[in-house]
Amino acid sequence: MTTAALPVRPARPNGWWGMAVFVASEATLFGTLIGTYAYLGLHNAHWPPQHLAKPPVLTPTLLTAALLLTSIPMQLAWRAAREWRRASAWRLLALAFAVELGYLIWQLHDFVDLVHVYPPRGSAWSSVYLTLLGTDHAHVLAGLVLNAWFLVRISSRLTNYRLVGLRATTFYWHAVNTITAVVLAVQVSPYL
Amino acid sequence: MAVVERVERLEEIWLERPGVLGWLTTVDHKRIGLLYFWTTLVFFAAGGVEALLMRTQLAQSDERLVSPETYDQLMTMHGVTMIFFFIVPITTGAFGNYLVPLMIGARDMAFPRLNALGFWLFLGAGVFIYSSFLVHEAPNAGWFDYVPLSLRQYDRGHNVDFYALGLIFNGIATTIGALNLIVTIFKLRAPGMSWNRMPLFCFALLATALSLIFALPALTADCILLELQRKLGFHFFDVAHGGDPLLWQHLFWIFGHPEVYIIVLPAFGIATSIIPTFARRRMIAFPLVAMAELLVAFIGFGVWAHHMFSTGISTATLVFFAAASMMVVVPSTIQIYAWVLTVNLGTPVFRAPLMFIGGFITFFVLGGLSGIMFAAIPFDQATTDTYFVVAHFHFVIFGAAVFPLLGGIYYWFPKVTGRMYHEGLAQLSFWLTFAGTALTFFPMHIVGLLGMTRRVYTYDHGLGWDAYNLVETIGGYVLAAGLLAIALNIAWSARRGPYAGRDPFHGGTLEWTIPSPPPHYNFAVVPTVRSASPNWDEEARQEDLERLERDELVLAGGHETPTTTVNDAELSQIAEMPPESPWPIALAVSVTIAFALLLTSHYASAGGFLALALLMLAGWHAAEPEEA
Amino acid sequence: MTRAALLAPPLVLALAGCGGNQNSLDPGGHGERSIAHLFWVMLGVSLVGFGFIVTLLFLGWVRRDRPYLPGGRGERTATQLVLLLGVALPIVLLVALFVWSDLFVLSSTAAPKRPTALTVRVIGHEWWWEVRYRGSSAVTANEIHIPVRTKVTAIVTTADVIHSFWIPELNRKTDMIPGRANRLVLEADRPGVYRGQCAEFCGLQHAHMSVEVIAEPKPRFDAWLARTAEPAPGGSPVFAKNCSGCHQVRGTEARANVGPDLTHFASRRTIAALTLPNTPPNLRTWLRDPQHVKPGNRMPNLHLSNGEWRALERYVESLR
Repeated sequence: MTTAALPVRPARPNGWWGMAVFVASEATLFGTLIGTYAYLGLHNAHWPPQHLAKPPVLTPTLLTAALLLTSIPMQLAWRAAREWRRASAWRLLALAFAVELGYLIWQLHDFVDLVHVYPPRGSAWSSVYLTLLGTDHAHVLAGLVLNAWFLVRISSRLTNYRLVGLRATTFYWHAVNTITAVVLAVQVSPYL
Repeated sequence: MAVVERVERLEEIWLERPGVLGWLTTVDHKRIGLLYFWTTLVFFAAGGVEALLMRTQLAQSDERLVSPETYDQLMTMHGVTMIFFFIVPITTGAFGNYLVPLMIGARDMAFPRLNALGFWLFLGAGVFIYSSFLVHEAPNAGWFDYVPLSLRQYDRGHNVDFYALGLIFNGIATTIGALNLIVTIFKLRAPGMSWNRMPLFCFALLATALSLIFALPALTADCILLELQRKLGFHFFDVAHGGDPLLWQHLFWIFGHPEVYIIVLPAFGIATSIIPTFARRRMIAFPLVAMAELLVAFIGFGVWAHHMFSTGISTATLVFFAAASMMVVVPSTIQIYAWVLTVNLGTPVFRAPLMFIGGFITFFVLGGLSGIMFAAIPFDQATTDTYFVVAHFHFVIFGAAVFPLLGGIYYWFPKVTGRMYHEGLAQLSFWLTFAGTALTFFPMHIVGLLGMTRRVYTYDHGLGWDAYNLVETIGGYVLAAGLLAIALNIAWSARRGPYAGRDPFHGGTLEWTIPSPPPHYNFAVVPTVRSASPNWDEEARQEDLERLERDELVLAGGHETPTTTVNDAELSQIAEMPPESPWPIALAVSVTIAFALLLTSHYASAGGFLALALLMLAGWHAAEPEEA
Repeated sequence: MTRAALLAPPLVLALAGCGGNQNSLDPGGHGERSIAHLFWVMLGVSLVGFGFIVTLLFLGWVRRDRPYLPGGRGERTATQLVLLLGVALPIVLLVALFVWSDLFVLSSTAAPKRPTALTVRVIGHEWWWEVRYRGSSAVTANEIHIPVRTKVTAIVTTADVIHSFWIPELNRKTDMIPGRANRLVLEADRPGVYRGQCAEFCGLQHAHMSVEVIAEPKPRFDAWLARTAEPAPGGSPVFAKNCSGCHQVRGTEARANVGPDLTHFASRRTIAALTLPNTPPNLRTWLRDPQHVKPGNRMPNLHLSNGEWRALERYVESLR
């Protein structure tokens, strides 16, 4: 009604800000875990301990690279949705989802192996290493669940409400990928 | 005519379901604020009873009123309750929730349903951790729960599991509340309320919420690691497997010291609300005080190791943290002088709220000065873990954080209830709590210096501590009497007090522009803001009426509130707010059950309930606002 | 003593000489003397600061009907005062305090850089103190004998949870943390008994984990150390049967280290980390019901016949 006549400045919606604060909190949690890894590293002469082989990095590096690439279709999906091109938004979202799902399945499979090779009850190193990796995988899962929700939601209709949600989810997705890259750096650190 | 219709339409749109069901499904920030208020008062009473039991046990040497085990549980739960289930939720949850939207001219918080979820999760966490008393396994390793004492080897029951899971749980609730406050303050300020016009109370709450967001993850991570070690046999804290017991302390205090500012900052905010009103002039040095509030929250992150001066960490570390700890003093001295000089510049009326602020300043200076002493490393190393510390932090936490809160209860009582409190009884309650606080906590300095260590369930006769301890116990009961007088005043005045009207104290901020108690929609028209004290701005208030007349920014088309840009608060868009919802409470129940199952190591079932919570989240988001 | 006296900080001054022998303001050695000195100076400055602000506040009440500061100055002056009193003055004072306390006093309480003539190892246990002397086979518990006017290095560690070693009249405290060995100087100016107590919460009997430092002239200390290093003359069947699972009596088959070494128990001043004075009736009370005297401690209540009790008491009392 009368509000239409008011001068209005475009700005990021509440939902985006909410997600930004949430991501800040999560990033701090990861920072704490990585800090724990580094702190315990300083207190041990050998980190990882000598009796353990260095953890694998080749597969995680390749997988993480694939993961990072999913940020592109995700960003494009949000852009398509903003222009109300629902079908192409859905397809891009599905592409990002499929790649990230593949990533997670592969990683979880390897994670089970890691638990056997580096039992967390064996040393502080394997405890903190597996905790960090496990948390990161859970984080990817959270991104996937959000993505799946929007795959369902925008398959029927696109609304402003869903658009805000998709924007926040895209932001979250990038955050998940970035944090995974940082976690990869921790995985690589024994080789440096 | 049209004006009346518009207001009636707002009334209709924002009305919630009546009765208990209405309270269970509410998303109204005022109702949620009140839910927080009453719940935290119950926890305050519990923490108070725990304190009185301890004080009675310590009234004389070699007393055997409670067993050592009971004492340890009381001591741990007193700390946990007062910090996590009283002060933080009453300041951010009750005061923040109720007042921030009113002060910034919004109709609700940014995420109303999330707001409700935050409360119900908080209540769930409280019920979870207090249920430990029913099974006689309340947390017993102290509120800072140092390892290895809290490891399974030395603490075999569920006590520490209640602690760790309870704090993770409570942390989720608190994070949600903090997130909501931040986005609300960023995005829902009435058009025109740029940063330099925002009430200092909101600055304080913003600084608090930001600190929570960045501090809590350290505690959460610490508790997760502890539970992984206790329940699944991981190694983080034991030397034999490459862990380090000091890891717990570092993570704990990275959270723990910002927590101190999380506790006192809202109190500073309340003080800077009360002082201008009763001094009848605006705060001096407004930008300095606003900056000081944000700065103290920031520096608060760089001083954690001063809690660890006697652990044998390197001298370089000691000196660095001592220097940082001294820096953190300056923002506080800025505020103290700004408050005191504002009182001096104005023509103050010493009614109960201002008297409590006077008590606050006195005790804060006292606790602050003893705090500075702890930045002198050798003195800290002599006095840490004695009653001198107990005295210091009770003057800071009780004197500096709770006193403004008590003053704030009186100050906003007429706004919330529409009735006036009893001034005589209020002043009596002030003198009782003031004397009680001084009597309880001041002698603790002395016994501390005489060598009495903290967290002892009893002490030997002949060390010169008996008389002081007796006085402290008497003080504790005087203090309790003062607090009861406040409760009495609230209970009586809520029903019998004279009507207070819209603005009994002539406050400067927006909450005083609307009726008491505030209508469900808060503001009939989005208020005009042109200064930091909008209620003292007659012209702007006149313009509100004209806007209402013109139907400009009345927003009676639905649950609507304007959102604005972060810096300059220019109108950005009209947000559609969700109506009441059963999902938050249902979700909280599900999460509470999941935590109970985690405690008893039923991981699969716990996962099931978390999945259920996720499904509920889907149900929650399936209901969307109507769009054209 | 009246309430008013308790509330008046200056009277804290009167406390320096009173209280028990665990009074951090009654220093008995160099380290604590410098800390106490630091405290008195800080207290003095604090009192001035406290008095100043409270006076300002009081002035606000006295002049409540008159706007403007005394002298009629307005907001501009007030803001300048905030900058002067709230920023400049604290910075000057804090820098001074920092330099003095954290650079100078810190060095007088620091861990010794060079080895001292005597080194004693103190090991914290739930809830007692094990004490060993470097270069001697002497082992004792809950009392630390040192020669007077001599720097002694204490190396403190723990056998279980975190404890904190603190002799208030001699020096600062230092934590006993698993995996770490913290050091501290003990030095007493005059002969005497200096009481200390565990300062870090360590579980049920944290309250009854006390220790005494006994400073004596060098010859007496040397004699004590020589005597304490000697083994016990012999064992006892009832002790071997009931107590040797936890305790050590050097020279007999009892060699465990769960509870304190008892080789010279009868010459010690107290029982159970200063819970009771070491007298025959107290010893009886303790032996027959340790869980009542110190609930939760590791020593179980034994079920012996009257004859066995008497034999046990006689034996323990003979361990001089």
